[in-house]
Amino acid sequence: MKHKALSTEIKLLAVLAGLMVALSLLSPRFLTIDNLTNVVWSVCLIGILSSGAIYPRITGGIDLSLGSMAALTGIIVDRFMNHMGLHWIPAILLTILIGALIGLFNGFIVAKIKVPAFVVTMAAKTYLYGIALVVSQGAMMAILKPRPFLEIGTGRLLGLPNPIYLMAVLVAVSQFVLRKTAFGRKVMAVGANETAAQLSGVDPDRIRIVSYTISGATSAIGGVVLASLTQQVFAAAASGIELDVMTALVIGGTSPVGGRGSVAGALLGAIMVAFIINGLNLMNIPAPYHPIVTGTVILMALLLNEGQFKGKFGRAAA
Amino acid sequence: MDVQSRGMQGEARSREILLSCKGIVKSYNGPIVLDHVDFSVYRGEVHSLVGENGAGKSTLIKIITGATNRNEGDIIFDGKPIPLEFSRRDAQAAGIACIYQELSLIPGMTVAQNIFLGKEPLMRGVRIIDKKAMNRMAQDLIDRYQFPLKATTIIDDLSIAHRQLAEILKALSDKASLMIMDEPTSSLTRTEVEMLFKIIHMLRDQNISVLYVSHRMEEVYHLSDRVTVLRDGKLVDVLERDRISPAEIIRLMIGHKLEEKAVHHRLVPKNGPVVLEVRNITSLGKFEDISFDLHEGEILGIGGLVGAGRTELVRALYGIDPIDAGTVRYLGKPYVPSVQKAIASGIGFIPEERRRQGILPTQTIRTNIAITNLDVIAPRHVTSRKREQELAMDGIKVCNVKPADPLHLVGNLSGGNQQKVVLAKWLVRNLRLLFIDEPTVGIDIGAKEEIYEHIQRLAASGVSIILVSSDLPELTRLSDRVLVLRKGRIIKEFKDCVLTGEKILRAASGITEEVEDEA
Repeated sequence: MKHKALSTEIKLLAVLAGLMVALSLLSPRFLTIDNLTNVVWSVCLIGILSSGAIYPRITGGIDLSLGSMAALTGIIVDRFMNHMGLHWIPAILLTILIGALIGLFNGFIVAKIKVPAFVVTMAAKTYLYGIALVVSQGAMMAILKPRPFLEIGTGRLLGLPNPIYLMAVLVAVSQFVLRKTAFGRKVMAVGANETAAQLSGVDPDRIRIVSYTISGATSAIGGVVLASLTQQVFAAAASGIELDVMTALVIGGTSPVGGRGSVAGALLGAIMVAFIINGLNLMNIPAPYHPIVTGTVILMALLLNEGQFKGKFGRAAA
Repeated sequence: MDVQSRGMQGEARSREILLSCKGIVKSYNGPIVLDHVDFSVYRGEVHSLVGENGAGKSTLIKIITGATNRNEGDIIFDGKPIPLEFSRRDAQAAGIACIYQELSLIPGMTVAQNIFLGKEPLMRGVRIIDKKAMNRMAQDLIDRYQFPLKATTIIDDLSIAHRQLAEILKALSDKASLMIMDEPTSSLTRTEVEMLFKIIHMLRDQNISVLYVSHRMEEVYHLSDRVTVLRDGKLVDVLERDRISPAEIIRLMIGHKLEEKAVHHRLVPKNGPVVLEVRNITSLGKFEDISFDLHEGEILGIGGLVGAGRTELVRALYGIDPIDAGTVRYLGKPYVPSVQKAIASGIGFIPEERRRQGILPTQTIRTNIAITNLDVIAPRHVTSRKREQELAMDGIKVCNVKPADPLHLVGNLSGGNQQKVVLAKWLVRNLRLLFIDEPTVGIDIGAKEEIYEHIQRLAASGVSIILVSSDLPELTRLSDRVLVLRKGRIIKEFKDCVLTGEKILRAASGITEEVEDEA
């Protein structure tokens, strides 16, 4: 039962490799640069959102307001640029700031009023959706300018779509913060045992508030990328994506009770789900069957990880 | 409470035996916890079970309530023999109820719902719960015993004392004839204790037996018809009412182990510079007007009963809970405690409940040691793997943690090794002052000795230590000076004298008359 600390990522890599071999044998179209790029591209948004959403999750909480937040911030950035005439750079920075502030508010309620994060962010998901409806007047709006803004989502660098770089940077930074900084240690400690963390000099409330703030900021980044990528904004633009993010986190080995997790694992998890869906498409299996397969995969991943958690807690209880 | 009120009409009662245990033996894989113990409770008496920590009280209670099974011995309850395989359900069905320390009521439900949980009255025909009937039945029960409760109150709105009453009611509704109360007063106020005592008397008048477990001698003295004293897993004596006195109980609990070094310890004063100066500090409802000086390299023991304010005192001094009044000076400067400041200035804290407060179970030894040392490992936010590994190896070596593998998960270690990790994360720092609360609860003898050696070595190297312990041999053996708290105040200071566990316990129990000094 020891030396398990990093094995989830390695297991996932092995599964991914196996999946790739199987899919390339099943379909000649699979192992093409275009197809692979498409798969990774499709998980960009999940990757960006996971890089922040993992913090509340590791503290033992959850941020379910991601989807509404991304849609709302997409609408806001459009307002700033195309209705208020702001330059696209300050517009984006302001939007991220707004996302961070909403996250801060979520975190404050979770930490100080001690309400379960599930309820707090579920409420936020709902009222943020409402605010998005009001601000957008319930309409779907196309974004046709400015050009540099649209380049963020649709442009390419060295043949790869821009969002892939953005996601890679965010995931790398997030993984670095979690593994290599004092703050990351504190986040893990709060999730593993809040009281022990507090007695060891960690301020759990502060760590929680910062965690939700980060999640809010990455949700806003996700919202900006989504708006730029799809060139349109509307209140339901990212509806339900929080569940894809939670799926990626679970498959990636983030503990459902907090205390441990990995952004890289989450990204691998998201890619795995995308590969499976891609494979089903390539094999011409009709879309209604896809959720059955992905749901089963989530369950299997959970059972695998759960076994691991049991091993960790089982003997310890004595 | 005056002397007249104790044991009223005791003599008038029949001496019918309700519970009889003969030759009870229990061992948990190896060490014998109960060694051929005989124990009996009469119908309608208040019977106290006393003994030091580890004397075997809880194990005996667990056997009687079916929480664990005995290895040998016969138990007869209410005329029926109790089989070796005996579960909590069986005990309940037989009429044995336990009022738990951590209460077992379900929050969010009413008193009535809790009382009738699993045996709710149903409407005729449609088999749904008859709420009206249930509330009425509950209220009848409450009225019959004149408890200050209402059937329809939600549990969450009740104080601990009133929840205890609801538990007692639940037991009464189960027709319990033996009610076991384990330290029932540890979180009650004075008036609440008096209310509970009245109810215990009432239960006795209804011919219900109460088995009372407490460290508080004055309670045992006031309530008991008889007292059974256990020591080291053996029956020492059963005191009839005319022989019950706090001093006699303490004498029997401690026994004549005076020649042993562990319980008979010469306190030698340490007169180094003052590290911590505490003046008249008060935390409302927890402790009052506490003053003392702590010298360099001194081990200051804090004795007292559970609930006397010992843990609360060290928590406040470490900065977890606020101090309402009074002043503290640390290293000569005025100091307002806060956890972050404490850690930064060389203060450490080893909490009483290792699993709940001390360790990060899902994380490695290395990460556990790192968490109090982030200032060293990550002075500019980014952690240094090399320094982290060095600290972990250092801590493992100093504290002899087994296995000596920094990547081992702490949750998978034995209790003793978990405690060594908690110790290690402080020992790798430059400490000036360490608070230690109950360091050896649930730890095997070998690890205990090692932890004692660490504490002594630490003090010898100049670190000042405040040690809270209910383990009397531990307190007498390690301390250079002992303060005894009682009801939130310092009631006695032992310094420069010969100290025994008995003296501490007498002071903690509020027995003021002087014991002759055998020194």
